Order: sequence, then structure tokens, then C-alpha cells
Amino acid sequence: MPCNCGGTCETNLVYACSGAANTGLLADQVMRTLNREGVADSTCLASMGADLSGFLESARNATRNIVLDGCKVSCGKRIFEKNGIPCTQFVMTDFGVEKGKTKITGDLVESIAANIGEKVKA
Amino acid sequence: MKVQILGSGCPKCKLLEQHAREAVAELGIQADIEKVTDIDAIMEMGVMMTPALAIDGDVKSVGRVLTKEQVASYLQGGKFHAL
Repeated sequence: MPCNCGGTCETNLVYACSGAANTGLLADQVMRTLNREGVADSTCLASMGADLSGFLESARNATRNIVLDGCKVSCGKRIFEKNGIPCTQFVMTDFGVEKGKTKITGDLVESIAANIGEKVKA
Repeated sequence: MKVQILGSGCPKCKLLEQHAREAVAELGIQADIEKVTDIDAIMEMGVMMTPALAIDGDVKSVGRVLTKEQVASYLQGGKFHAL
């Protein structure tokens, strides 16, 4: 629970496409790393796609919504656009990862999470 | 009608509950007002900021202490509360 009781604290939420390809796995692992390191609080993109009211309202009221899409198809970003909610998108293939080819390692996850973390905090 | 106030029980959560009770009373409607303080239950509803208000399971507001009038607007089916 990132922010309690109507305070003025910053609430950054992060979502991953978690798609079937290696890039979806990467997005998911990067999201968990960002959550663990306190950059943003992870929450469910699938719930957003299913139009669940609590998730939508939380996104509408977040300081920043960070969407991690595996590839250029941008499913995550499209869910936000569909609902008219602003987001900051990062696409895993923009970090030199090839969909269906690049092996997802811990070092790769850490490297991309650090890169995104710096951009979010900037 | 079921009205849920989601929050840990801090003063702002209690204020939202008070506003909800006042709105229900003024509108003269039949509603059960329930406080949800369990963090897991709150997060299962997708609420990442409290206090939050849900009506019949539909989350209407998160991270804000709505006024009595704003709660009343939601109770009457308003899509967006009057700011």
C-alpha cells in the first residue's frame, strides 16, 4: 500500500505486459525489480484491461503510471489510452532486446531496471 | 445498496465514513455502510491509495476524502463527483 489516507505523498505505479514472449518475461521481472527497489509499486495490468474499477481509479489518481511493454505492439500503453489515463511507457525491445531471441538473465533485468529507475527519478 | 469505506482507520478514513453516513441519511436511502480495514482486502479491490469509497463493489474514488455532497453525487448514480 504505497499511500495511506489522502496524504500528499508521491504514488508511482508500475505495470508490466507480462506477455508470452521473452520480452514479456523481461517486462515482468523489471517490474518486480522496480517494486523491490522502491521506485514504484507494482500493480496489475490485466485488471486494468478487465476494467476493474479499483485499479482504474488508482491509476487515475497516481502521480505517475509506468507501463513496461515487451514489444512495440504496446498492449499496455493501449490499455491506458483506451481509458484516457496518462502513462510513461518503456518498451523492452528499445533496450537492445530481440523478441523471441534474447535470453533473459538477471544481469539484463537489473541493468534495464536501473536504467528505467534513473529516468523515473529524473 | 452497499457502501464500503476502504482504509486503515486513520482520521481521514473516519472522516470519509462520516461524510458517507451523512450523505446516506440526507438522501434517506437504505444502505449498509461497511468499513474495510484489511490491507489485503483493500488491495484485492485494486485500491492503491486510501481512503477509498466503493458502492455495490464498484470503486468510485481512491486517495481522497470526498465531501458529503460528493458522496451523495455517487450515491445518486453520478459518474463523476462534483468538484
